[in-house]
Amino acid sequence: MKIVISGAGEVGKHLAKLLSNEGQDIIIMDEEQSKLECLESYNLLPQLGNPSSFKTMKKVGVDGADLYIAVTPSETRNVVSCSMAKHLGAKRTVARIDNYEYLNTNNRDYFAKIGVDHLVYPEYLAAKEIITALQHSWVRNWFELFDGELIVVGVKVRENARLVGMPLKELYTLSNYMHISAIRRKNETIIPRGEDKVEANDIVYIASTQEFVGNIIDLCGKKKVDVKKVMVMGGSRIAVQLAKMSSDKYKIKIIESDFVKAQELAVSLPECTIVNADGRDIDILKNEGIDDCDAFVTLTDSSETNILGCLTAKEYGIRKTIAEVENIQLITEAESLNIGTALNKKLLASSRIFQILLDNDSTNAKCLALVDAEVAEMVVKEGSKVTREDVKDLDLPREITIAGLVRDGHGMLVHGDTRLQAGDHVVIFCLSGSIRKAERLFNKK
Amino acid sequence: MIRWAKINYLFVIRMLGWLLLIEAVFMLFPLIPCAIYHEPAAMRSMLYSILATAGTGVLFSLVKPKKQEIYRREGYLLTALVWIVFTLFGMLPYLFSGSLNTVADAFFETMSGFTTTGSTVMTNVESVPKGILFWRALTQWFGGMGIVVFTIAIHPALNVSGGLQIFNAEVTGITHDKLLPRISQTAKGLWLVYIVLSAAMTLLLWAGPMNLFDSLCQMMTAISTGGFSTKNTSIAYWNSYYTDIIIIIFMFLGGVNFSLLFSVSVGKPKSLLKNDTFRYYTAFTLTMCAICIAIVSIAGLYDNWADRIIKPAFICVSGITSTGFGLVDFQKWGPLGICMLFIMMYFGACGGSTAGGLKVDRMVFLFRNIKNEFYRLLHPNTITTVTVNSRVLTSEISAKIVVFIAIFTASVIIIGMILTATGVPVIDAMFSSLSALSNIGFGSGVTYSSYITLPSICKWALSYGMLIGRLEIFTVIILFTRRFWVQ
Repeated sequence: MKIVISGAGEVGKHLAKLLSNEGQDIIIMDEEQSKLECLESYNLLPQLGNPSSFKTMKKVGVDGADLYIAVTPSETRNVVSCSMAKHLGAKRTVARIDNYEYLNTNNRDYFAKIGVDHLVYPEYLAAKEIITALQHSWVRNWFELFDGELIVVGVKVRENARLVGMPLKELYTLSNYMHISAIRRKNETIIPRGEDKVEANDIVYIASTQEFVGNIIDLCGKKKVDVKKVMVMGGSRIAVQLAKMSSDKYKIKIIESDFVKAQELAVSLPECTIVNADGRDIDILKNEGIDDCDAFVTLTDSSETNILGCLTAKEYGIRKTIAEVENIQLITEAESLNIGTALNKKLLASSRIFQILLDNDSTNAKCLALVDAEVAEMVVKEGSKVTREDVKDLDLPREITIAGLVRDGHGMLVHGDTRLQAGDHVVIFCLSGSIRKAERLFNKK
Repeated sequence: MIRWAKINYLFVIRMLGWLLLIEAVFMLFPLIPCAIYHEPAAMRSMLYSILATAGTGVLFSLVKPKKQEIYRREGYLLTALVWIVFTLFGMLPYLFSGSLNTVADAFFETMSGFTTTGSTVMTNVESVPKGILFWRALTQWFGGMGIVVFTIAIHPALNVSGGLQIFNAEVTGITHDKLLPRISQTAKGLWLVYIVLSAAMTLLLWAGPMNLFDSLCQMMTAISTGGFSTKNTSIAYWNSYYTDIIIIIFMFLGGVNFSLLFSVSVGKPKSLLKNDTFRYYTAFTLTMCAICIAIVSIAGLYDNWADRIIKPAFICVSGITSTGFGLVDFQKWGPLGICMLFIMMYFGACGGSTAGGLKVDRMVFLFRNIKNEFYRLLHPNTITTVTVNSRVLTSEISAKIVVFIAIFTASVIIIGMILTATGVPVIDAMFSSLSALSNIGFGSGVTYSSYITLPSICKWALSYGMLIGRLEIFTVIILFTRRFWVQ
């Protein structure tokens, strides 16, 4: 598939690398030579030029593009260039925007008319992610697949969890409502087999269904915390978005160090308490009642401040901490430092665009990427290899596991004696780079 | 303790296996002329070579690397090794058929083939079986566009970022234009241009006095700017202006950047005129032709005016594009003529073509840079930039170019000195050394018609020169640095 990306910023670069590794034809354009230089050694085509000029667009061949992605810093420019690209013949367009209003369903027709098919608003995605994390405060990651028919959670387990130390074989005889699909231990991801055990401090990825997911909480030694009070450090756009979307559910207190900004926030968000102070000052946090907060969210511009803020809050016994970490390199560090959830606007935006892209291509819908593993949704084809035997006799490669499936609209988990049928939608976990292997299993006649 | 760099050797070996299989496939083609011209001995030697190459290839390709990723180190190592391993197996037909007797000779001849140099150690080409001659021409055609570039075009395992490293290590020129988003598409595009040009040239030559076999062989060595001929007197054998002119045109095209030819062929003819390198290349070729025509005319050589124009023009284009086809004895032009050839061989044609030498790109850069340096002597605070092909070259690239020119020139002198030490006259030694490094194939004096009389050590030194010349120095020399192997 030919994909043109305009804007070689963080999101653009991340997407370009990701899609190029997936085997797509990528052309990325930007006005600044320096931004393109670091992309020279990747298997893609960087092009120098103004992304909103007809000349550049024709030069890069937008007319034959299957997807045009505008992710420059400027919203108007993104919208305009998408409209131009559509006019020139791009099949589908995606624009990154900064305005919540645009996402309103009433306005969709207008954007479709001017040639912008999809809008991506990273702050909105981030706010949504925070709300999910607050709702399911006992997990690190919460993914709903196939409209919530299957649920995958990532949980960090401690010594007190019942599933620690038990071989998975035995575990499944006790409880067949879950499937441990992947284990992240220190810096590697393991696809576990029957003999493997979960150790303390592992992050385990468990697949389950809506009705049984509650049972997992106890097994993992977690308690469901009903989040009521949320303290937010930093009044960024995500904070505003979060407050607008969830101030009816939670009591939100925003700590903003900039006086003018704090005043503006107070005007625009009357339901929230706004405090003008430095969120790193422990006395102030105590005075503002950090002790009886249920969750602490750090959303300042500095990733380091956010991580440190969350660590401080952890010390005060806050169960759920969420930090915005914009430096991609710092995310793994943050995860190992016990930050509950690390949030990254760029990754969110790029995985959203990834999904849009894959809606096109229904044979292989990759939905999310963990650090070095991938979760993919696939459709079992008529006569493919996997339909011939029970799962336990399939002799799957070590780096692939089938977590669950959706048959006739109902989610179910996969065990050794499950037999896959053509038309099943399955969720597979695989280590990075083996997605092609998995594809072959499900497609080959 | 030395910490060795982590190199994915298994992947390199596996890829070498694949490449050897490709070489074995190429070795099948000479069987056709063997069969047509009834040469059972040559056919047998080709078959043995195919067996040895394919056998080793299969053996190597059975190696299972743990990881599929390759980085810069593997890229350089693979590219350099491929050229050496290809030469080792490519020389088997000469040895098995008895056309050449010593390993030094056969290695020299094959390296001269793959690197499109065209220097030969054969003394009587016409007595060599047709099948072997076909293989000799085929090595040049294959080496011209690049062994690895061909593999990238067809092998999916290299269609990744690592493949790009290999592509950059093999394709000549300062910077490498990506034509299309994926590296395999770029490689396919380049090969397509190459194949179309080859087909056109074969038909045009066949229309003249050549038969099909000779047309194919001369085509393969002309378009790749190699210069092996199937006749002892080279192109002069046919004694036809038509043939001369066709070969001049295609040698010239072989010296143009293939990415540029690709852009022209997809309907952007204007890019040809906008390209600095192409304009300089054309201007340089025309100037050199004019000077040599003048030298010949003043000296009163040759009988008629057509000869006085076409013959020097042929030699000039043959020299600039690093082909090395002979038509007339340029040694009769006198010292000034030889001097002009030195300049032409040093400069070479465009980067990204099949030609050798320093490349016009670097020369354009050098002259513009020199101009800037003098300007800055008067205006020291001015910030100057060097633009080639409407692309500003950063100071890092500039530094790399200067280093390249320095090492290239030093290598010419060192290899020349080795030759001199064995008793070759200085002028001949330097000429042969430059001829090897620039992948030309001309010889002078003792090496004029054949390199057979040189001692083995000279042949090994010249083979090395051809390799570093073809891979543009860095790819090979980096393997001799400590940093490459130690972390």
